[in-house]
Amino acid sequence: MENKSLHSVAALFDTPDQIINAAHKVADAGYKKFDVNTPYPVHGMDKAMGLGQSKIGWITLFFGFSGAIFIFLFMGWTMAMNYPYVIGGKPFFAYPAFIPITFEVTVLSGSIATILGMLAVFFNLPSLNDPIQDSDYIKQVSTDKFGVLIEASDEKFDKEKVVEFLKSLGATKIEYIYEPEKEEFKILQPKFLVFLALVAIFTSGGTYVTLNKLMYIVPFNWMDRQSKSNPQSETTFFHDGFAMRTPVKGTVAKNFMPYPYQGQAQPAEVLSNPTLPTKEILELGQRKFLTFCSPCHGNYADGNSRLMGQFPPGPTLHSDRIIGYSDGMIYNIITNGQNAMPSYAYQIPREQRWAIIDYIRVLQRAQNPKPSDFQAISQLKKESGKNVVN
Amino acid sequence: MSSTEIGYIKKELPDKIRKIGVSLLAAGAGLGIIGFLVEPQRAAFSYLTAFLFLVSIGIGSLFLVALEYAAGADWSTPFRRVSEFFSAVIPFLLVLVIPLLFSMHNLFSWTHKDIVDRSELLKGKTSYLNIPFFIIRSIGVLIIWWIFYYFIIKNSRQQDASKDQTLTRKNIKVSTGFIPVFGLSITVIAFDWLMSLEPNWFSTIFGVYFFAGTVWCALAALTLTVVLLNERGYLHTKITSDHYYTLGVLMFAFTAFWGYIAFSQYLLTWYADIPDETIWFMHRWIGGWKVVSILIVITHFVVPFFYLLSYKSKTNAKQLKFIAVWIMCAHFLDIYWMVMPSMKLNGFQYSFSWTDIVFPAAAVGFVILLFKSLSKRYNLLPIGDPKLQRGLDFHL
Amino acid sequence: MNIDYTKELALVEGNHRLADIDELISRPLTQPPTKKYYIALSISGTALLIGAYSLWLTLYYGIGMWGNNVPVGWAFDITNFVFWIGIGHAGTLISAILFLLRQRWRTGIARFAEAMTIFAVMTAGIFPVIHTGRPWLAGYLIPYPNQHLLWPNFVSPLLWDVFAVSTYFTVSLLFWYMGLIPDFAILRDRTVSKVKKTIYSVFSLGWRHSNRHWRHYEKVYMILAGLATPLVLSVHTIVSFDFAVSLIPGWHTTIFPPYFVAGAIYSGFAMVMTVLIFVRKVFDMEDLITLNHLERMAKVMLLTSSMVAYSYLMEFFIAWYSQVPSEQYDFWARVVGPYRWAWYFMISCNFLIPQTIWFKKVRRSVPILFVISICANIGMWFERFVIIVQSLSRDFLPSSWHMFVPTLVDFGVLTGSFGLFFTLVLLFAKTLPVVSMVETKSVLDGAHPHHKSDHTGEVNFVTQGNVVAGINTSIGGGDNGK
Repeated sequence: MENKSLHSVAALFDTPDQIINAAHKVADAGYKKFDVNTPYPVHGMDKAMGLGQSKIGWITLFFGFSGAIFIFLFMGWTMAMNYPYVIGGKPFFAYPAFIPITFEVTVLSGSIATILGMLAVFFNLPSLNDPIQDSDYIKQVSTDKFGVLIEASDEKFDKEKVVEFLKSLGATKIEYIYEPEKEEFKILQPKFLVFLALVAIFTSGGTYVTLNKLMYIVPFNWMDRQSKSNPQSETTFFHDGFAMRTPVKGTVAKNFMPYPYQGQAQPAEVLSNPTLPTKEILELGQRKFLTFCSPCHGNYADGNSRLMGQFPPGPTLHSDRIIGYSDGMIYNIITNGQNAMPSYAYQIPREQRWAIIDYIRVLQRAQNPKPSDFQAISQLKKESGKNVVN
Repeated sequence: MSSTEIGYIKKELPDKIRKIGVSLLAAGAGLGIIGFLVEPQRAAFSYLTAFLFLVSIGIGSLFLVALEYAAGADWSTPFRRVSEFFSAVIPFLLVLVIPLLFSMHNLFSWTHKDIVDRSELLKGKTSYLNIPFFIIRSIGVLIIWWIFYYFIIKNSRQQDASKDQTLTRKNIKVSTGFIPVFGLSITVIAFDWLMSLEPNWFSTIFGVYFFAGTVWCALAALTLTVVLLNERGYLHTKITSDHYYTLGVLMFAFTAFWGYIAFSQYLLTWYADIPDETIWFMHRWIGGWKVVSILIVITHFVVPFFYLLSYKSKTNAKQLKFIAVWIMCAHFLDIYWMVMPSMKLNGFQYSFSWTDIVFPAAAVGFVILLFKSLSKRYNLLPIGDPKLQRGLDFHL
Repeated sequence: MNIDYTKELALVEGNHRLADIDELISRPLTQPPTKKYYIALSISGTALLIGAYSLWLTLYYGIGMWGNNVPVGWAFDITNFVFWIGIGHAGTLISAILFLLRQRWRTGIARFAEAMTIFAVMTAGIFPVIHTGRPWLAGYLIPYPNQHLLWPNFVSPLLWDVFAVSTYFTVSLLFWYMGLIPDFAILRDRTVSKVKKTIYSVFSLGWRHSNRHWRHYEKVYMILAGLATPLVLSVHTIVSFDFAVSLIPGWHTTIFPPYFVAGAIYSGFAMVMTVLIFVRKVFDMEDLITLNHLERMAKVMLLTSSMVAYSYLMEFFIAWYSQVPSEQYDFWARVVGPYRWAWYFMISCNFLIPQTIWFKKVRRSVPILFVISICANIGMWFERFVIIVQSLSRDFLPSSWHMFVPTLVDFGVLTGSFGLFFTLVLLFAKTLPVVSMVETKSVLDGAHPHHKSDHTGEVNFVTQGNVVAGINTSIGGGDNGK
């Protein structure tokens, strides 16, 4: 017992009044490394010991706030920038809808940070090896006594003086608390090594089984076998074996007017052009012409195309015959195809076909201008002073 | 007498207060009458906001008194009399409501037969929204409030002299009976005087919304007065920063509560996006009202919430007085925001008017005058209350 | 009965001293379970097993095992969810809100109520997971970067629920554990069994009752109480948003948030009252959980039941006032429609029966309070049933109306939820102190030093010192034979 070093001297008191008084006196006497142990927090003890307010509230404030800002911005990013999706008519950055989660995360992050901060930072817990554990002192304090403890490492510590001082304050019992014997932990002890090995086996084995076996166990598979027919599958129901069926002859999609001259190379009637050659329509026509028509007919519809030599070239569109075609006839050719030209009905929507036709007329006019056109151009040049050709 | 045992010395409030009260009331009332004569429709709306503000102060304070009795709280006993003085507004409400009852045609579109006849919705509501029933409800509620006010206050004042504990028991009974009646009656007032300004709109939480603002405002009035009086020694030396702190905590709690109710109402309306319901908020989002709506969020919630977070702001007298005044102004702004945009339903274009200042000034003057005259006749502390000593000894 | 209003009501009766508290509260932990305990445990265990089997059937065969249909897509599952979350609210209210209101009478019931919160939330949390039909995919509810490049729908109240309930569970658990740390220290210092000593030492984190720690502890307790209070209000508010943000008549009404919160507190207090009436009798804790506690709880129940009744009235009035036909019909159908029996249960149990609490005789009679608390829970369950099933079965288009009929599996899962809850409660009562020893000690008369200005008469602690020492030594030897 003698070779154990003294950690502190502890004194027990009976009443709250006594312990408050004792705390005052010990603090006034100039001891710094002392503590008061009470079975429950006693009113006024902080002031008696000369301690200020706890600063832990700042941790709550900081982490709560940052949690709030983080989650709010995160939700904004996911819903408004990363994968915007119109949900129920709400705007992408639906901040009223973000508020409940923001509030919850504030509370969550604030609480967790506060408790962890309290335990780890302020208390330095868990401290299972504190010298005070298992002493009679702590057992009495746990039950119903109040205690003061002055550490030997305090500057003013003198064993006899401290004992007398505490007795003079009315302590009912004095106890000497000793440092516990230091245990030697050799890293390579067999027990520890076995423990490490077991942990390794369980962790790696468990991970392997979970990720490679458990994850692939199908709990039940009857939703995999469904009697419905999927697209592109076989079926014995129809004698030709196809699950996908073509619609009944003459079926028309809803709100769709079929082209009345489908398949007719020389229709008696044709549709009339419903568009006017406005700037927007002509620009659209130009784009689409260059996309779909120019490979065969050339950029200026003169037959001088990129596919020359590789494919039967499209004729020039500036021949008298084609200039003489009505808009609806050209529409018919685009829709039905003609000779080597396939039908473009599936590639070019109807609006765009008319736009292309308007643009073709522009090209034709450009190749065969009327005299009045030159006058109009020089007039425009005079008026604006700019090059109006563009 | 009992004054010296508890340590309360009755001092009279300075005459300056009476002068302030009289001048505000006289100027306000005088200009107000002119306002009613010159532009009765506009004045009616201003009067309504000031009236509802007085309702908040009056019935909110009576609720605080009743709450203290019902909950058995002792920390607020030393200054319960302050709330009692504020609740003395209630009997006068019966007179003050009369100009409103005569202005119903200017205020409410459902009083116009041609508007009602054109609307199926309004026709269906005529069994509730008709003038006779409306008047009966308003007067009825005010009379009920007066009855409860009379008994609670009478018992409390009687106890100063008699120190009879059965009076406390009686008041607890009356208070616990009052609280459910208060809940229903303040809902009726909110529905009738505020919600029916836009008769096609409805919200089940509206009564709770008005309740939250009312109690918040009454708490602020109480806090301001307690701090002002205590600083100058009119109350008691044992009313300390611990009492202030608790008042501050309550103001904080009701700030959060109001924010919660207001946000619930808004979120649910916004989310479902049903035009019947969003119209009320849309009226408060067009033009200049957008600014006011945002201002409400800031002044009614954000500022008081963050201001009252710290310990210091709830115990420092100057900071408490500041936030109490702020809160009362914010509540007035809330009522203003609820009332004024509805003007358009009567075909009236809103613009700020001088009457908007005149009537609140009169209301403030009236309350000050009332307080002064009551404090002359009655003690500022309930010196006969058995819980008074515990209340004075209250520590955190 | 004449009350002297100058004095506060006693919080702990029976003139106990500090040492008695330890003994009284930790006695159940050291004694072997009695026959009554085993009977209770077997009943709740059976219910739990029924629930487990019903759950297995649901997961294996699918939601078709339940009675849910179109339009009644939510029935028992969500009713049970809201019911159990509501019950959890009383715990946090008692520990956090009553703490903030400085109602010291909470000490007798706070620990138990908090534990009930945690168990109730655990029970409630099962339902949102299983009602999805493919609960093994529930991980996608958590916002983590996944290979589908998908995020959960933050705009949906169902996801707000996920965050709210998990936050609620986490914070309640932390709050409860924090309260247990000093009690674990007391148990560590009292016990003689080596195994228990190790367990208690680990869980007490080496707590040594140092005032330097109490200082921070108190502050953190207050901060957590301050955070838990808005949290508990927000959780049931968010649950109410599940319904209120929709367009369904009977669901879309702005009063749902405070209405649900008041209802939750009501049912929570009722459950706490039911369980505590058992506990105080079985564990001889009538001095710690006194009739005053039960009376105050009854008053809270009266208050919240009145708030709920107010909400019913508001809903009905505004349903008429709004002149929306589907809204008017839904409420009319509640009274005369096919589920009217559920509505009658609801009104009588949530409004009529609690109104008897106005009478002092009622609220100071333990058997009557027990009956009222059971009725309250039945009533609240039916309230959620009426809101969910009734409103869904009678929504906009009459051609879409359809009745809901519960299946045996539905009842099995409901039974199982009660089984889980009560099993956890029973296990808790035997392994952990059901009342906080530390808090009880701190509210005894004479527990705190005198303020110089105090006038109230306090018991003089010093003269009892010998008595304390006397009792202490007889206990210090252990719990054998007690």
